[in-house]
Amino acid sequence: MIVVCLYGRMIEMNIYHKSKRNILILLCLMVALIFSSCSNTEINKAQGEDDGSYKIAFTDDLGKEIRMKEPAQRIISLYSAHTENLFAIGLDEEIIGVGRQDIYPPQSLEKPVFDYRSDPEKVIAAKPDVVLIRPFIQRKVPDFVAVLEKAGINVVTLYPEKFAEFDTYIQKLALLTGKEEQAANLLQDFHAGIDHISELTQNMTSKVQVYFESSENGYKTITPDSMAAKAIENAGGINVAKNAQAVTKGSSIAAFGAERILENGNDIDVFVSQRGAMNAGGNQHAISIRPGFSAIKAVKNNRVYVINEKIISSPNFRYIKGIKELTRMFYPEIVDDITRFAAEDVVTRNQMAEIAVRYKHKEIFVPTSKYYKKQYKGHTYGMFKDVAVDHPNFDFIETAVLSGYMESYKENGSEMFYPEQKITRGELAGILFMLHDLKDTQKKVNIKDINEVSNSRIVQIVVNNHLMQCDNGQFNPQQLVTGKEVVEALNQLKVLN
Amino acid sequence: MKSKITLLSLVLSLMLMVVSLVGCTQETSGEVAKDPNQKGILVVSFGTSYADTREVTIEAVENEIKDAFKDYETRRAFTSDIIIKKLKDRDGIEIDTVKQGLQKMKDDGFSEVIVQPLHVINGAEYTDVVQIASEFKSSFDKFNIGSPLLTSVEDYKAVVNALKTQLPELKDNEAVAFMGHGTHHPANSAYACFQYALEDMDVKNVFMGTVEGYPDLDNVIEKLNDNHIETVTLMPFMLVAGDHANNDMAGDEEDAWKSILKKNGFVVNTYIHGLGENKAIQELYVAHTKAAIEDNGEEE
Repeated sequence: MIVVCLYGRMIEMNIYHKSKRNILILLCLMVALIFSSCSNTEINKAQGEDDGSYKIAFTDDLGKEIRMKEPAQRIISLYSAHTENLFAIGLDEEIIGVGRQDIYPPQSLEKPVFDYRSDPEKVIAAKPDVVLIRPFIQRKVPDFVAVLEKAGINVVTLYPEKFAEFDTYIQKLALLTGKEEQAANLLQDFHAGIDHISELTQNMTSKVQVYFESSENGYKTITPDSMAAKAIENAGGINVAKNAQAVTKGSSIAAFGAERILENGNDIDVFVSQRGAMNAGGNQHAISIRPGFSAIKAVKNNRVYVINEKIISSPNFRYIKGIKELTRMFYPEIVDDITRFAAEDVVTRNQMAEIAVRYKHKEIFVPTSKYYKKQYKGHTYGMFKDVAVDHPNFDFIETAVLSGYMESYKENGSEMFYPEQKITRGELAGILFMLHDLKDTQKKVNIKDINEVSNSRIVQIVVNNHLMQCDNGQFNPQQLVTGKEVVEALNQLKVLN
Repeated sequence: MKSKITLLSLVLSLMLMVVSLVGCTQETSGEVAKDPNQKGILVVSFGTSYADTREVTIEAVENEIKDAFKDYETRRAFTSDIIIKKLKDRDGIEIDTVKQGLQKMKDDGFSEVIVQPLHVINGAEYTDVVQIASEFKSSFDKFNIGSPLLTSVEDYKAVVNALKTQLPELKDNEAVAFMGHGTHHPANSAYACFQYALEDMDVKNVFMGTVEGYPDLDNVIEKLNDNHIETVTLMPFMLVAGDHANNDMAGDEEDAWKSILKKNGFVVNTYIHGLGENKAIQELYVAHTKAAIEDNGEEE
């Protein structure tokens, strides 16, 4: 039995291994195999019998027993959520390779890229002590995975199917990499954050009814136990399609159909379309022009929103951002209230970014996996030297700049935002001008110091529209603004539009 | 065993019978007989997945062509595989590629076929259409390919006149900036040539820019500043007002033309209607189709 089994393996392995080094590995494996059986656990057993000396022992999501003596030091992650979570629990140098689609956090762009659709030898040559995949990869390229495993590489398959499995998934990643403590802290904060949002939204007097679209092909929604459905619940919404059935067992995608959407048209206050993956939901315009859809309450009231699947359906810590985004879509006037900033003596650029994005009820910018394939003339997401991804206002700042509301700067080739810099009157005029499409007025206000203003055309239009006043005919562009001035100018702007 | 052989021979003889019967109805085996009265026009465009804009641009031009040439059957083909797939998967709408469209016309026994592309310039996409379509040259008794919107000098002048119907009255400090697609293909020179035609025909304060070619937005801004312009109206110089017009031109993102112009202090208006909505442009495509129909192939 052993001989037959080995012979089979030799033939298979010879296809893939041609170098002398690989023949050596093959010989070692043969020796190891002689002492083992032909079961699926030979990799673990090749490392020695389970004598309790393994610090790391767990079962992966394909039922494979993972045994390691020390935390992984050289990790290749071939799935974007794994990559993102490894960075989140505090790894960086240990990550020696990432997948083709992995773009978050932006540090992952600096890592060598490995592609499971190409030669597994590249992965083997990098000598990882762990290769992280998800079941999808195992299904799609079983040969690729088999070659890695036969080369003695520890391939770990993880994927939480449900939100309830998220913690276990993160704990396994942490165990594998020796970051248990960091992971525990992160999970605690994560759940506390969700609970906090949930407490706030549970008290909303009239709850919004929500339809969540996961695919525009066949107008599909999500299953009641999916991450997105849980997010709707936590954000204080009522899922209109809460009885939808999964399209296939275990899938979070559920059938619904145009007919049932339209039947519920009068009840749908908010229509959320998930974008990002293949065959994802439609955009605002595409949804609004579908036959019969103009009768849907959310379409009539201009409450169709788009959310990137990475922050709502992917097992990562950005999920809390997705829930927060939903609260902004569900209860914009309450959640995006900016009057509290009126108490500020001065307004920093950091605060201004939040004010502008909340004022516009603009969805936060979330890059897709294709984002970095293009070169950008202006700012590139995640590239501010002075605003890292863990900056509390990271999303507001990125969104304010990428939406053109605020300027970014370049200093010695580095992108800068200067979050702590105070907003001047001149800068506020520029921001007001960008927030709406202002027209000039017939009547012009005489501004005595207009020649000292760098963006004079914009300042003139803003003053002509009475969004900002002059002091004795002086605009004083360098003067700092107060929170009250900002909030009043925005209230004025709202009236104008 | 014996019964199996009997069954097999029965099936084989039946198949032979069918084949020979089919053969009798055709002039040559495998070729469909051409009907001298079957004449068709295949209108080719890139396509769009938005039904509303498709109706007022692509479909409107197709209908004009249909009305003008009643002896011809007008059919549609798109060049974008992505849009064809999207429409099929999402809306269940089947649209042919150029190859499929021509193959069907061949199978349906058309004797005369005119391919009319709705492209603006003689660029890479048009070249592709010509290449694919040319394979069918010998499939029809008469086969011609019409020219894109901007081909002859007369075309440039006709398009300037056509655009006058959609241009607003402009004060000295007001301008219109057109957004063309632009291309790496040598035909990109059409855009600068068109700017020349505008100036030649005394159309003031109207400037041409492109998303992916030359002149670009920076060139346009330079012209706007040179002419002391304060208010700009953006218009797409594309058949369809699709993603480019809505996002790259009139979008609110940092890199959209509208945002960049506003940052430069201009007041910006947007006109989100594709060239295909312009009646005079529709008529020009009809004229190009007519020229292709009337071309009797006096090749040198």
